[in-house]
Amino acid sequence: MADILIDDLSIKFRIYHDHSPSLKDAVASFFRARKVASHSDFWAVNEVSLHIKAGERVGIVGRNGAGKSTLLKALCRIYEPSSGAVKVTGHIAPLLEIGAGFHPEFTGRENIHLNGAILGFRPEQLAAIEQEVIDFAELQEFIDTPVKYYSTGMYLRLAFSIATAVEPEVLILDEMFAGGDAGFVQKATARMKKVVEAASIMILVSHDVDLLASICSRVIWLDKGKVLHDGAAAEVLALYKASSAPLAVT
Amino acid sequence: MYAYFQELFAYRSVFYQLVRQYLVLRYRRTVLGFVWTLINPLLMLSVTALVFSTIFKLDLATYSTYLFAGMVPWTFFSTSTTQACGSLISNEGLIKKIYLPKLIFPLSVCVGNLFDSLLSFAALFILIAIFGSTISWALLFIPVAFVLIFVFTLGVSLALATLTVYFRDVQYVVGILLQAIFFLTPIIYKRDGLSGWAADLVALNPLLHFIDLFRLPLYQAVLPGWPTVLSASAMAVVSLAVGLLIFVRHEKKIVFRL
Repeated sequence: MADILIDDLSIKFRIYHDHSPSLKDAVASFFRARKVASHSDFWAVNEVSLHIKAGERVGIVGRNGAGKSTLLKALCRIYEPSSGAVKVTGHIAPLLEIGAGFHPEFTGRENIHLNGAILGFRPEQLAAIEQEVIDFAELQEFIDTPVKYYSTGMYLRLAFSIATAVEPEVLILDEMFAGGDAGFVQKATARMKKVVEAASIMILVSHDVDLLASICSRVIWLDKGKVLHDGAAAEVLALYKASSAPLAVT
Repeated sequence: MYAYFQELFAYRSVFYQLVRQYLVLRYRRTVLGFVWTLINPLLMLSVTALVFSTIFKLDLATYSTYLFAGMVPWTFFSTSTTQACGSLISNEGLIKKIYLPKLIFPLSVCVGNLFDSLLSFAALFILIAIFGSTISWALLFIPVAFVLIFVFTLGVSLALATLTVYFRDVQYVVGILLQAIFFLTPIIYKRDGLSGWAADLVALNPLLHFIDLFRLPLYQAVLPGWPTVLSASAMAVVSLAVGLLIFVRHEKKIVFRL
């Protein structure tokens, strides 16, 4: 049973005022009697506790810099908690940025294997889905061409097809996938829906209030690294809309 | 610690892909392809052998064998450590987007280089054998020599990869240091030609023992003695232990510093 337990999670970033410390600075500050603070701490996620149970469709909203992406990355184990703990039960698929693991010099086919390995597929699984991914991405002719010669649309289609070939128990989405021609977007939306339905837990970060309202059952509003509101999608989204209306955020 | 290596094993296919990436991409779209891996050290070796056998007034064939036995471990050590410095930084895009055990990045660099080294060893060895070097049972020790220098190099690489994330200057310092170490290692010259402080300095060089592991079987056709094998093994183990300790302690913080 998929389950996510976030207990008093904080993630600290260190912001360097001038530049990242060089060896010279480190040596210099070692000999300096009184240290001048060259950095300040920034809590991107600040004492957040959440429990997300199986079956939940959770949306996360908040202004830029509210800590939404940092929270997702903590769930995916990319960021180690500065304090507190994250416990995820169930196979988690990070679909944070599609095509993250692509190598431009590799061909489409080689990238299926590279990216697939990064996403946690075993080689025999990859061999089984390879053809399906190529067909879905409509790249039969170009699959043995290095992806650096791909158009943006081709690149996105391939990345999307690999990323969604997996059906994880915990699905994590940062913004919606876009790209490709109209026909592909339609196909992609249908496939996305299937993956979302198959997932036990889905967490989606988006600025699109209507999208969140249509697929989420619960919405968490983050602000300055803290949970401002957490509840039924309709309630929280109404509050969020009301607060951001004057700013006319699109 | 067991769980740590278990996880590493679970990510073996990513590791395999990274090694492949290293080996395959370099010579893609070149006419000679993988042959370059062999041509590079061959040219390097021939030029150095020609020049220095003339300077030192040594027999070319004998000197080539001597040089070759020193060049193979040196090239492996220097290229691996240089490339390992950038192994985490250059994969920033990946590390920031997907969770992967970070150890696979420096490890894949070292393993990729080991492949290169083994290949050029094989190719050059055939040439050296034709030139009339002595072939003996002592050559069976060479695989052990490779294992030991690999372990030693991996430890140094892990430490350097971590350090470079915090201090980007390290990669340039390493370049200069390697140059200095090259001249402090008896690769092109013979150790018994040294005296005084230079000899003392070279005696402190940890690479000395690793070079001997290759040179004794290849050049003198004898097995390395126990003192050499034991000191090399001890250094390899210490290097890997220290490297792993530094790496594992900072692995989780690396992502914040890239």
